[in-house]
Amino acid sequence: MTTVTPVQTPVRPGTPAHVPGVPGDTVLSVRGLRKDFTLHTIDGRTVDALHGVDLDVRPGEHVALAGTSGAGKSTLLRCVYRTYLTGSGHIWFRTAGGELLDVAALPDADAAELRGQEIGYVSQFLRPQPRRSVISIVASAGVARGMGRADAREAAAAALRQVAIAEHLWDTHATVLSGGQKQRVNIAAGTIAPPRLLLLDEPVSALDPANRAAVLDLIARLEETGTAVLSVFHDLDAIERLATRVVVLGGGQVLATGAPGEILHDPNLPLEVAR
Amino acid sequence: MNTLSPTRTGTGASRAGALAGPDPRPGIFDELSKRELRRAMLSGIAIPGYQVPYGSREMPVARGWGSGGLQATLSLVCDEDQLKVIDQGEDAGVNASNLRRLITEHTGAGEETDTRAADIIQSRHRIPEQPLTDGQILVLQVPNAEPLFRIVQEMDEQRRMHAEADYAKMWVWLYEDIVHNGLITAAAGYPVLVEGRYVMTPSPIPRWDVPKMNDSDAITILSAGREKRLFAVPPHTRVVPLTFDDRPFEVEYTPGTACRLCGSDDTYLVEEPGENGAPGTWSCSDTDFCTRRRTGDAPADVAGQPVELARAALRRATREQEETS
Amino acid sequence: MSTHTPQSRPWALKVSGLGRIYGDPSPASLTGTGPEHGTAVSPSTGAVVAAWDVSFEVAPGEALGIIGESGSGKSTVMRCIAGDEAATTGGIALRSVADGTVNLCDLLPSARRRLRLKDIAAVYQDPAAGLNLDVTAGGNIADPLTAVGWRSYDGIRQRAAELLERVEVPLSRMDDLVRTFSGGMRQRVQIAKALANDPPVLLLDEPTTGLDASVAAGVLDLLRGLLEETGVAAVVVSHDFGVIDMLTRRVLVMKHGRVVESGLTDQLLEDPQHPYSQQLVAAARG
Repeated sequence: MTTVTPVQTPVRPGTPAHVPGVPGDTVLSVRGLRKDFTLHTIDGRTVDALHGVDLDVRPGEHVALAGTSGAGKSTLLRCVYRTYLTGSGHIWFRTAGGELLDVAALPDADAAELRGQEIGYVSQFLRPQPRRSVISIVASAGVARGMGRADAREAAAAALRQVAIAEHLWDTHATVLSGGQKQRVNIAAGTIAPPRLLLLDEPVSALDPANRAAVLDLIARLEETGTAVLSVFHDLDAIERLATRVVVLGGGQVLATGAPGEILHDPNLPLEVAR
Repeated sequence: MNTLSPTRTGTGASRAGALAGPDPRPGIFDELSKRELRRAMLSGIAIPGYQVPYGSREMPVARGWGSGGLQATLSLVCDEDQLKVIDQGEDAGVNASNLRRLITEHTGAGEETDTRAADIIQSRHRIPEQPLTDGQILVLQVPNAEPLFRIVQEMDEQRRMHAEADYAKMWVWLYEDIVHNGLITAAAGYPVLVEGRYVMTPSPIPRWDVPKMNDSDAITILSAGREKRLFAVPPHTRVVPLTFDDRPFEVEYTPGTACRLCGSDDTYLVEEPGENGAPGTWSCSDTDFCTRRRTGDAPADVAGQPVELARAALRRATREQEETS
Repeated sequence: MSTHTPQSRPWALKVSGLGRIYGDPSPASLTGTGPEHGTAVSPSTGAVVAAWDVSFEVAPGEALGIIGESGSGKSTVMRCIAGDEAATTGGIALRSVADGTVNLCDLLPSARRRLRLKDIAAVYQDPAAGLNLDVTAGGNIADPLTAVGWRSYDGIRQRAAELLERVEVPLSRMDDLVRTFSGGMRQRVQIAKALANDPPVLLLDEPTTGLDASVAAGVLDLLRGLLEETGVAAVVVSHDFGVIDMLTRRVLVMKHGRVVESGLTDQLLEDPQHPYSQQLVAAARG
């Protein structure tokens, strides 16, 4: 694992250093998050997704979201990454420079910058860019987080080794890779120069057992770098192994939060996960 | 304002005649038109290389046969002037003789062949080898005034390019010439940049004569009767042939040739084919200069010394050859 | 102090309140136009409000997309920025021109054209609009170079070769007339020409429309690489979400001359808000 000091973002004038109700030590503090979708193409109906979610993630912490399908786990991740716009509420993100930014209200250009430098996202659905060499996809993720080009290439090589992508594939286009290989390339890109906050949306769902283990190892070691992780896994084993805390969502709200040991074995919680 | 003709006073119609100055000679060019030409020439001199429009009149020669030069000369020439007219460097050519006779008969100026003694020299293809001096005026007949005509056809766009000194397309044209032909093939009318501002065609003079325009002591007037435009190069103006820094401007030159009459090897020579397949012979294009060279009445150095450019090009070629072998 | 606040973000191009009306430019022409009225044609004056109240900033190294169907005004916006046509109202500023203090709309047409040498470059859908097809590939690139004073033949050829290599045109074709090139190859030459003087702002108008799918993909790959490497600020105008998705980080959606929505490109694709955006996305998704 390569550790890189994140780019220091200067403190914004006017950015509150403290917001009432937001602890001073979190990387991410979600407060009262609501999200619904108005479907104009389907008779304008509204679909509710989140109804007031509160959540904290601290440096080095791995918070796993659990709950049944449709509970709002992925929606929450996407709101934090700003792929979804927030209906109401706040998504407070503390930058490396110590400023507290509300991702929900940030101008687009600032949100884009935050993504490049401080917030990473790996999804099972995220396609690697086609017609581009595997190593350059991973290296350019490093460049986006402030690494020099030469360093980024070296780090990319290390990351690809880590996820067991054979060296003879590094210069081929990502399109020729299998689904599992593509996903591992995404993970390598997402974890090179680890961001302050990494969002993982079922990152091992398409992987065979051996590769799954390699990727889980890699995620486990992210804690050493101080990276905070907010994740969605579809299997309890991964959560039990990686998470420092589990937040159970149901009906767009937080139903429970606690250590994996307590939560995952509570028969009263709606957990739709495979053993 | 000069004296008014007693026959031309009083009526409104004749007032225009009065403004035109001296009583016109019966003949080919009215005084008002001459004044228009002179104003245009002054504008041209004020803005070196800029094409000034004028209302070209019918002349007793067809447009394209020197009507522009003829109007300029008629507007400039005075009774006491000596006039030289050459065609291809020769005073005795049919066109030159006829034009010279036409002008002198209608103006009272004297006919002259010695470049040194001429006040006005009208020419189409050549600039004399004799360096021109302060007070002389060279009138060049221009068949095609627009240096950009090969590059863009729309006149509005040509004017815009001149106005904004946007000559990139001209440079692209030169670039393409080298790409396709290995060198810039533009021969007669090689484009020049005047005083760092306007690109101008120097009329169909050979490349050999282009350096003579730079920093000349004389005034050069270039007039195109068909296109109704004239432009001018005042004395001591920078006239630089367009070329790339690493592709020096070259002049026409055949190594080892010299005039069979006067022996000059530093003048513009033309080839005369030999009889019965014998090798051709070379002689000066400028007949006046050749004659005087033979009698020892010509200067040691010709105007602009274009032969120096030719020799430099030869030295470069030799050096390149040595480097490659 | 910070260079990071929204107010002082280091933009390379800033467009504010841009409007372009064909016909009567009075405020009366605005009434009854726009997406809510379903037309860009003024019912009272007959004027066409091709673009109105368009504002955005583009930072160095950032690509902004403008998407919409034909007649939405997206190309009008681009042509106004490029100086190909005059805006009716509004401000256009380039960081490279007097540090952004000059409204380009106030410049004389000649001064405006001069900006096209070094400060802003455009790539058009039709290569014939940006290239002289009867000139070689190298000669087309020589145009912007000589325009800014390059006078070394060998130097120009070297630079042209560099650029052609960068856009993956074989050097063996440098001295061929562009007319003999395929559509994709012509587009690559046009891109090389646009990049000749390293402009800080690049405008791309439907850069791959009309190309075969595989050829278009190659040109898109090239553009994405160039946008990443050069640090140029780009505006990409397209009706194709695939192009916008691949090249841009932020996007504006235009309809009937107005901006109906703006956002991060993936957000607009995943969570479009305006009914028209949702319709566009649904159509793109098939």
